[in-house]
Formats: sequence, C-alpha cells, structure tokens
Amino acid sequence: MEVLKEKVEEEEEAEREEAAERGKKMMRPVEMRREELPMTQEMLRDLEKKLSEIEIIIPEPPIITKDTIDISKLPLSYQSNTLKEEHLLEVADNFARQYSHLCPDRVPLFLHPLNECEVPKFVSTTIRPTLMPYPELYNWDSCAQFVSDFLSMVPLPDPLQPPSHLYSSTTVLKHQKGNCFDFSTLLCSMLIGAGYDAYCVNGYGSQDLCHMDLMRDVCPLTVKHKEVVKEEEKAPPKKYAIKPPRDLSSRFEQEQETKKQEELKGEEERQRKEEEQRLLEVEKAKTDPLHGLRVHSWVLVLSGKREVPENFYIDPFTARSYSTQDDHFLGIESLWNHKNYWVNMQDCWNGCKDLVFDLGDPVRWEYLLLGTDKAPLSVAEEEDDTMNDDDVENLGKEDDDKSFDMPSSWVEQIEISPEAFETRCPNGKKVIQYKRAKLEKWAPYLNSNGLVCRLTAYEDLECTMTLEIKEWFQNREDTLQLRHINKSTGLIIDYFKPGHPQALRVHAYKSMQPEMDRVMEFYETARVDGLIKREETPKTMTEYYRGRSDFLSYRHVDFGDRVKKLALNSAESNPRPMVKITERFSRNPEKPADEDVAERVFLIPEERTQLRYHCRDDHITASKREFLRRTEVDSKGNKIIMTPDMCINFEVEPMEHTKKLLSQYEAMMKLKNEEKLSRHQAWESELEVLEILKLREEEEGAHTLTISIYDTKRNEKSKEYREAMEHVMHEEHLRQVEAQLDYLAPFLAQLPPGEKLTHWQAMKVKDECLSDFKQRLIDKANLIQARFEKETQELQKQQQWYQENQVTLTAEDKAWYLSYYSQAVFRMRILEQRLNRHRELAPLKYLALEEKLHKDPRLVEFLEVFV
Amino acid sequence: MHRLYNSVEPRVMDEDMLKLAVREQGPKEEAGQLARQEGILFKDVLSLRLDFQNILRIDSLWQFENLTKLQLDNNIIEKIEGLEHLVHLVWLDLSFNNIEAIEGLDTLVNLEDLSLFNNRISKIDSLDALVKLQVLSLGNNQIGNMMNVIYLRRFKDLRTLRLSGNPIAELDDYRMFICAHLPGLVYLDFQRIDDHMKELAESKHQYSMDELKHRENLIQAQLDEERAQQEELEKHKAAFVEHLNSPFLFDSMYAEDVEGNKLASLPGVSELLQAYKDKFVTICLNIFEYGLKQQEKRKLELDTFNECVQEAIQENQEQGKHRIAKFEEKHSLSLNAIRDESDLINIEVKILEYSEDITELFNVLMTLEMQLVEQLEETINMFERNIIDLVALFIENVQSLMAQCRDLENHHHEKLLEISINTLEKILKGELDEDLPDDLRALFVDKDTIVNAVGASHDIHLLKIDSREDELVSRTNSWCAHLVDTIHKNEIMRNRRRVREINQYIDHMQNELDSLECSEVID
Repeated sequence: MEVLKEKVEEEEEAEREEAAERGKKMMRPVEMRREELPMTQEMLRDLEKKLSEIEIIIPEPPIITKDTIDISKLPLSYQSNTLKEEHLLEVADNFARQYSHLCPDRVPLFLHPLNECEVPKFVSTTIRPTLMPYPELYNWDSCAQFVSDFLSMVPLPDPLQPPSHLYSSTTVLKHQKGNCFDFSTLLCSMLIGAGYDAYCVNGYGSQDLCHMDLMRDVCPLTVKHKEVVKEEEKAPPKKYAIKPPRDLSSRFEQEQETKKQEELKGEEERQRKEEEQRLLEVEKAKTDPLHGLRVHSWVLVLSGKREVPENFYIDPFTARSYSTQDDHFLGIESLWNHKNYWVNMQDCWNGCKDLVFDLGDPVRWEYLLLGTDKAPLSVAEEEDDTMNDDDVENLGKEDDDKSFDMPSSWVEQIEISPEAFETRCPNGKKVIQYKRAKLEKWAPYLNSNGLVCRLTAYEDLECTMTLEIKEWFQNREDTLQLRHINKSTGLIIDYFKPGHPQALRVHAYKSMQPEMDRVMEFYETARVDGLIKREETPKTMTEYYRGRSDFLSYRHVDFGDRVKKLALNSAESNPRPMVKITERFSRNPEKPADEDVAERVFLIPEERTQLRYHCRDDHITASKREFLRRTEVDSKGNKIIMTPDMCINFEVEPMEHTKKLLSQYEAMMKLKNEEKLSRHQAWESELEVLEILKLREEEEGAHTLTISIYDTKRNEKSKEYREAMEHVMHEEHLRQVEAQLDYLAPFLAQLPPGEKLTHWQAMKVKDECLSDFKQRLIDKANLIQARFEKETQELQKQQQWYQENQVTLTAEDKAWYLSYYSQAVFRMRILEQRLNRHRELAPLKYLALEEKLHKDPRLVEFLEVFV
Repeated sequence: MHRLYNSVEPRVMDEDMLKLAVREQGPKEEAGQLARQEGILFKDVLSLRLDFQNILRIDSLWQFENLTKLQLDNNIIEKIEGLEHLVHLVWLDLSFNNIEAIEGLDTLVNLEDLSLFNNRISKIDSLDALVKLQVLSLGNNQIGNMMNVIYLRRFKDLRTLRLSGNPIAELDDYRMFICAHLPGLVYLDFQRIDDHMKELAESKHQYSMDELKHRENLIQAQLDEERAQQEELEKHKAAFVEHLNSPFLFDSMYAEDVEGNKLASLPGVSELLQAYKDKFVTICLNIFEYGLKQQEKRKLELDTFNECVQEAIQENQEQGKHRIAKFEEKHSLSLNAIRDESDLINIEVKILEYSEDITELFNVLMTLEMQLVEQLEETINMFERNIIDLVALFIENVQSLMAQCRDLENHHHEKLLEISINTLEKILKGELDEDLPDDLRALFVDKDTIVNAVGASHDIHLLKIDSREDELVSRTNSWCAHLVDTIHKNEIMRNRRRVREINQYIDHMQNELDSLECSEVID
C-alpha cells in the first residue's frame, strides 16, 4: 500500500515537471532557435553559465500534503459515496461520454474530482450553501473580500488543466489555503447561502488573473473618487428677470481669441496624449504564450436575486467584481451551482464578451440534470443564433432519468470561528502588490499600535521611490483613524474619529515642534468655544469658529519677533508679542447692522483699533470707525482724555449719538477691554496648542488600544470574572451530581427493568441496601483497624531494630529514627481517632439511610403499608 | 402711613432739579470730565433717580425720551401723570407716595417692573397696556376686594406680586386664592410659591377656577372666530368680491325696495322670486370665485415681479460690494504707502493716482447703478402692462357677469309686470279669490300705479347692481393705479438712496485723502 502511494506520488511529480517543461518550452521558442547554431566552446560555456542562471522552479508540493489531513477524523460522508451519489456519478460519466463523443475536440469536463479522501465527488455536491452568522458577510463584496483575505492562494499544479482534487470547503478553511477552484467553491457556497444566484465557473483567464497578479492594476484605495459635479439646475428664467446689459465688445475679436485658445489647448491635449501613450507602452505587459489556455475558476452572479441589476463576475482571488465583458476572462467551459451543472455551448473566440447567460436555453447551455427551475429567458433570440450544432441539441436528452435531482452536499456545515473571522488573513497578515502601490493588512490587535492597514504608494513602477503612505488604525485610545504621510512634502495628516479628549478631528503637521506650520481641525460640537479649525504658520495663527454666542467666526493673530528677555531665570515662558489681531463676526440679527461689528482689527503696537460694521441689507457700503489711542498731555499739562481726531468715523447713515465724545470714549474703553480679552484668548490658544502637542506625543508614545466591554476575550477584567463564574458553576455542578447519587440504583438494576415493584421486592431491595451499607461500614472500620495494626507492627519492628543497634547508630540514623517514630505515633493516633469517630457515626449513618429509604419515592408506597 | 406731609414744603420738578440729578448720577471720572465738557442731553439719559425730593407733581420729564429706569419713590405725588412720553421705560418706582388711583400708564408698553408700594390705591385697574409686566408691587395699599386679583390674570408674564399690607391680605383665603387664580406666579410677597401650595390652592378653588376658565375660553374662542371672519373678509375685500358668496347683494336689493316686498306676496310671485334669487346668487358666486382666482393670479404675478426685482437688486449690490472691497484693499495699502513715503514728488504722484482711483470707483458704482435703473425700468414697465391687462380682463369679465345679473333682473321685471297686470285685471274683473294685504291692494288701483310700483322696484334693483359693479371697478382700478405708483415711487427712492450712499462714500474717501494731503503739506 505504502509503496503504491509513493509510486503514485512519483508519477504525479513527473507529470507536473512535464507540465512545467511544456510551459517553459513554449515560453522560449526564440532561444531554442538560437541554440541550433554550431556550438563553440565559448558558446557552450556561455550556455552553461546561462543554464546555471536559470533557476528551475520546483513545483510546490500538493496544496495540502496528504499527511496534514487526518482522513480518519473526517465524517463518513467524506470517505464514501451514498447510493444516490454513486448514481449521480454514473449519470455524470454517461454525460461525459456522450459529450466527448459529440464534441471530440473539446477538453474533458470537470465533473467529479477526488476529494481529500480520494473519493470522487460531483462538483455540485461540493458546494454547501451556508449563510454565515456574521452580518458583515451578508453582501457579496464583503463575502468575496473575506474569502480573498482568509485564504492564501496556491497556483494550480498544472496551469492548463483543472486540478485532480477538489477539497471540501471545511478542509480548505482549516488550512487557509487553496487554488482558484477552492476559492470559488467556498465563495459560491457563501453567496448562495446569502441568497445570491451564484455559480462556480470553470474557464480560462488571463495570466494576471490566474496568478493573482495585481501589479498592473491600480489599487482601488488610491483611486480618488471623482467628485460628481452636480450641475445646478438652472431655474428657467422668470417672467420678470432683468435683461443683461448690452454686450458691447466685438464679436470678431472674441472669436479670434477663442480660436487661439483652442489651438493652444489642442496642442496641450496632443502632448498629454503622447505622454499617456508612452506611459502605457511602458506599463504594457509582455504577451503571454499561454494566453487563453490558463485554467481559472471564478464566480458568476446572475441578476435577479438580491436586487442584483446585472450579471457580473467575481474573481475570488482579488475579490474584485468584473463585468461579464471584461478582457481578463477568456472563456468558459462549464459552470455549476449546488443544483445543476451546465456546459457552455457558445463559442468563446472573443473571450466571454458574447456569452449569453440564459441557462434555460439548451442550445447555449447544456444541462446535466433535467428539471431545474431555469426557464429560457428569451425564445426569440434562439432564431438568430447561428452557431449551434444540431448534434449537440440532442445531447443529454436521452437521459431517461429525468426526475433525478442533485443529492445534498457531502460537505459538513461551513463554520468560521469568531477568532478566525477576526484574524481573517492567515497569521493575520496580508500583503498585496498593486501597480505603484503596496497594500498591507493586519488583523486588529495584532500590532500594538493598532495598525490594521497600510497603503504605500510609489512614484515608479519598480516600487522604490515612496510617494505617500496611508496607515489605517483601529481601536486606538486616542481615536486615531488614519495617518497620511506625504513623503515628497513631508506633511503628515492624522485623522481622528469623534471622541478625542481635545475633540481633534484632523491634524496636519510637518513636525511636532510648536510654532511651526500646522493645521488642526476639531469636532466643533464637542468644544465649548466652537472652534472648527486652527491654522498656524511660524508667524501667524488663524482660528475659525462656528456657532458662538458672541458670533465670532474668525480670528487671525500676527506675531512679532520674540523679545529677548534679560532675566533668564524667570520660569515663565516667553510668549511672542502679538502685532495684530483680526477678528470677524457673523451677523447678529438682534442688532441693527450699523451697530453690529463685522471686523475688528487691533494693531497693538500702534494702539490703533479699526472697526468695520456689517452692511445693511439694502446698502453697498458699511460703516467704519477707527480709534487711535494717544496718551498725550495738552498745553496745560492736563491729560487728554478724548479728542475728536482720535476717532475717525464713516457712517452710512450719520447718527447723532456717535458724534459725542462721551460715547466715543465709552466705545474706546470697551474696546480696550475687549482687546485685552482677545489677547488673552489668543494666548490661551497658544497654550492649548502646546497642550495638544504634548498630549499627542504622550498618546503616540503609549499607543494604548481600547477594548470594547463586549469583547470578552480581550477584556482582561471580564475574562477573569467570567472564568471565576465558570469555576463556581463547575463546582456547583459537581456537588449536584454527587448529591444526586442514586444509592438504590445497583439493587434496582438487579430486578427486571420496566416492571413495577412488588411489595416483597421493595422490602428486599430495602433490606439489601441496608445490609450492604452495614457491610460497608464494617469494612471501613476493618480497613482502619488493619491499617492501624500494620502501622503498629511497623513501629514495633523499627523499635526493635533501634534497640538492637542503638549503640552503633550514627547521629543521622538516630535522627531519622526519631522522626519516623514521632510520625508513626502521629499516624497511629489519627487512625485511632478516625476509628473512634467511625464507630460513633456508623449507627447514625445507618439510621439516616434507613430513614431515607423509607422516604424514597420508589419504595415509599410499598413500605408505608407496613408503617 | 401717616406722614406729616404738611410739615414740608412741596418742591416743583424744574429744569435745575433735573439737571442736578442728571449730573450727579451721570458718568464719573474721566468720562465725567468729558460729559461736563460736552454737557449731557436729557434724551441720552437712560436712568434717573428722583427720590426724597418732596415732589408733588410729576412734570418736565418729556425730554427724557430714552429713559428706561425712573425712581420717584418717597415723594408726595398724588397723581400719576406726565409719563406719557417715556415709552421706553422698563422700571418705574412710585412707592411711598400718596397716589390714590392707577392711571396715566397707558403708553408705557415696555414696562416690566412697577412698584406702587405704600400708596392709597384701592382698586387695581388701568394697567391694560403693560403687557410685559413681570413684577408688580402693590403692598401697603387699601385694596379691599379680592376680585381685583382676577384682573391680574391678563398679565401672562407676571412672576412676582406683592399685596401684603392690604385689607385683603388679612383674609384667611388670601394666599390660596391668589395662587389658584394666578398660576404663573412664582413669588408672592417675597415668598416662593411651592408646588405643594399650588396643588392645595388648585384643589380648593377648582370649581370657581373651572368656571372662570370656561368663561375665558368662550370669550377667547369668540374673539378668535371674529378675527378669522375678519381675516376672511379682508381677503375677499382684497379680491374686490366681498359678500358675493352670499345672497347679500340680492337681499340688499330688496332691503330698500318697499314695493318689491309688497309685490312678493302676490300669488305666483314668491316662486318666481325664489327661482330668480337662486339664479342671481349662482351668478354672484361665479363672480366671487372668479374674483378669488384672479386675485391669486395677481398675487402670483406681483410675487414673481418682486422676487425678480429683489434678485436683480441683490446681484447688483453684490457687484457693488465686491468693487468696494477690492478698492478698500488697495486703498489701505496705498494710504500706508503715502504715509511712509518721504519723497515729496512721489507723494504727489501717489496722491494723484489715488484720487484717480476714487474717481474710477465712483464711475464704476454709478454705472452699475444706472444700469440697474435701466433694467428695472424695463421690468417695471413690463409688469405694469401685464397687471393693467390682468385688471382690465378681470373687470371685463365681471362686467359681463353683472350684465347677466341685469338680464335676470329685466327678465324678472317682465314676469312680475305680467303677473301684476294679470292680477290687476282679475281684481278689476273681481275674479280674484285670494285676499290681498291692504297695502298691496292699494297698489292695484289702476294700471299706471302698478306699473310705476313695479318699475320703481326694478329701478332700485338695477341701481344696486350698478353701484356694486361701479364699486368693484373703481376699487380695482384704484388698487392697480396705487400699486403701479408705489412701485415707481419705491424705485425712485431706492435709486436716490443708492446715489446718496455712493456720493457719501466717495466724499468720505476724498476727505480722507485731502486731510492726508493737508497734513503732508503741514509737515
């Protein structure tokens, strides 16, 4: 047996090598021709060198080596076929024979590959429709993403042929790897379970598709969503809309201008196109010699169910959906779901572009089993179909077993444990290489800083020059969600979810040093001051607010150069002097526009304050005021409090009271206070920036992760609690089991089962039980007695030995003897105590049992007669 | 209570007294210095205290237009007067005076806090105008009737009330009664009314309160209904078809028609009259509905017009604002440049440049404005044409409907005449069986009399119809003319305002530049 297996394996190996050889031969036809030249020594050496350079790719061992699968543990349905399955296999064989007879030029069908137990199984029965318990796996895109993440891809042993084995999805899930057929079988099972009209397809794909090669694809994450510019619906011109002023410019000049512009544009366009062409050329792949021959398996989803609007393919490797017209798909041999198997009878000369997926149409799709629910979609289309073969039409119709339906799947229920579901990728890690981009994925909690995904974009195709890095995080305590690092500008942008202690939303910076270029955006509803955004440059700070009760919407602070402090010992920070504060306010509807300040500028060193008021609804000019504070002394030495030239007014509608010096003075005093307040607020903002930076640094250093209280595995506290509870429960259970020990069971078992006890029998049972118990008690006493005696004898022996050898004994022996003696005496005393206790308790126990037996529900009715 | 007023000399509220008070209570320190320098106008004063002045008569306060707080406590005022002009008053203290009746507060609609503590008031009334009243102090007065409290129910904002020291406060039920009748009250006699107290009071006075509330609700409902009716009528009036949805016109035709009413009792006439009325009312209804529809149409037209005009003005304003903003940006830069410049020639050049800019801005703004005026002119003319057409159409149609009415009347007249003559003949022949009322029989003397009577009735009817029609037509026309006139006037006003605004702005800019020039020259 063992020998036979080895032989088989050897043969397989040979086959595989042959296939590889074949592939290689076809790949290098040019080189072969060159070798036909007469060989010189140099050439030989050269050849040798070249040959040594060529690395022989040893084909990988079978996907899952046999010894990793413990066949014995698999259920019976895996190891054998039921009668119905046998029947199905016969039908399938019959079908295949007819098919090969009628279409001799086509490759044999992929009908019943061997499973992991070397049992042939029909492909449809390998599909096990299952709806996963995870709501995330309810839609096709997430399902496909899961399958592509969860399994790692193994290429087909022979890229030109379907595999000889098709394992069950449970095995595949267990080992987390498989070929395209395993992928699509699993995905198909999940999709059908979720209610989609999905099919496994056996067909031919492009090289990229079969090798899961995304090097020529743009990463979907880097594709920027084109902003849909919604064209504002132009309201139809109203009846009384004013006419535009007459256009007096020359039309001829305009035309000339546009012509020139267009020329320029055309030139630019042409250049751009050329550039694009060049780039495309560079990127274009080498042609594949096996183009159209590579076997691939994918999933077809037909429209109709689950609101799928039109048919599409899913490549299970990459989880991407393709239209049925896509270039990557080069042909379909057959497709199947859990109910039936269809063979494609349409010509695939143009890839899959012309295929019609009307499975009820027997001309285009030859079915294996009759009686499916697929009715032909359109009868009219059949007429203009020219490629059908008359012979083929009759195929399969000779099946006399028309009512035969597909046996249920032999595969066990597909189960994915929550841990596996969360970990997703094998070992929780996955790397995908795209065109100019690399995508790395990790399972949550795998990285200590919460990193779950990293996308690296490169400038060049060889992926050497990093352009930008995007990192996604999860479960961070500082709610960091995404970090975007632009390598060329050095700009780092952090995005936060709601819930950061400082209500941070976005933080864009180049360095964590204060007083540098940075932008912070906030969740303004979480902040008392309604701050939306704070921009900083080395010399300025700009803040944007929303929803404040004082209607402040904007504050811009210009800083001057730091004044050097002479006293270095002061611990206080040395804030930069503020040169100018500009504040803007939104309209306060309660005040008239002339009294509602729109912009306030404090020029601090000049002691000048400029006010601009809001514009009235029907005006185009706004009032302005400028205050210039001077602390001068007039000719008499009195302090000048207020002079008319300290306040320059422009008023749209001159008001009387503003002309008065008193009101001007009051306004100025108020502004003075407000200036102080604004300066203070700006200073506080500076402090806040420092604080946030410090906090961010701390958070970055600690990068603690939050654990949901519902996450019972990771939450240490709840885990401890739960374990303690489980322990308690377990003990409780044990105690209960003990309490329920049936003392009558062995005696009742002696009686014929199922019969009612007679009085005599009951008495007998009771007596037997009691006598047995008595015997037990006595035995126990005897046992203690025996032990006691044994102990006594031993002690006596030792004592004797001691007395005999007392003189010659070493100090050690003596010590040993003494300790032994004391222990033996202790043991004897205990035994004595136990015996005494037993003697005391035995009668009580006996009585207790008797009482219990009297009350036993099984005996009570017979015993009570007597009592 | 009994202060000896006779022992002190009453003082007159004259200008000196007020000036003194204003100066004493005015701004202090530096601001005070300024105030002294400038003088304070009475109308700028917001708060005034005139206590312990032995004032007998409130006087000379009419200048304090903007006063919000006035204290006149501890005087010997006997009558509330002279406060009519202080409409901005929020806080009024008249405690410790000799006032006997509440009066003279009808213009103080903004009053929130009123103190009449320690006076001789015996009845609460004349406070109707004080809709914002929140605090009312009427302690130590002579209010003896509990029903006075019910008067206070109309003040929805009243939160604090003081009534202790009045005869009613001696009653056992005093607190309970007030709590029950003024549920919005929070403090009574400086004590908070707790929920428990409120509940107790409510349960105690439940029946009387329910009755009171019911009565108030009824009155309210009646008022609402009247208002709704009034509104409806207003709407119909705006459509010029009021009362046409009812037999009002028909009834009015017969209201002054003595003969017609007499003739109605002729045999066969009542049926005829009924049929006539039905038809007439149907036509009236037609007019009514048509009128409402036309009113809708006119309103839509007017709304569209207003919207378009507003949009145009708005857009124009935006353009103007944009220009000014651009100019100001440049202006602040160039002003600074001029200030910083030391070379006199350069200054000259820059000032010249700047004044050119100003002129250009002026031209641009004026062009914008003129452009808008032209555009609006056109639109307004178009609207005018349309609305006049609409109105003409409306009048025409109404007139044709009215003509139908007249036809009906003529028809009815003929029928009536026929019946009358027949009846006359019967009477003359003595064939008439039925009894006719005496006054009716008096008409059937000869043919002329009856024909005259029927004709008079007919004339009255026609007159009524004509006058209704005339009224409708004239009102519609005058409305139309007024509308067009207003639109034109508004546009002219708008234009003038804008031009003045632009001029003012440009003048200001020019002044600024001139002052700069002057200072440069001086330097």
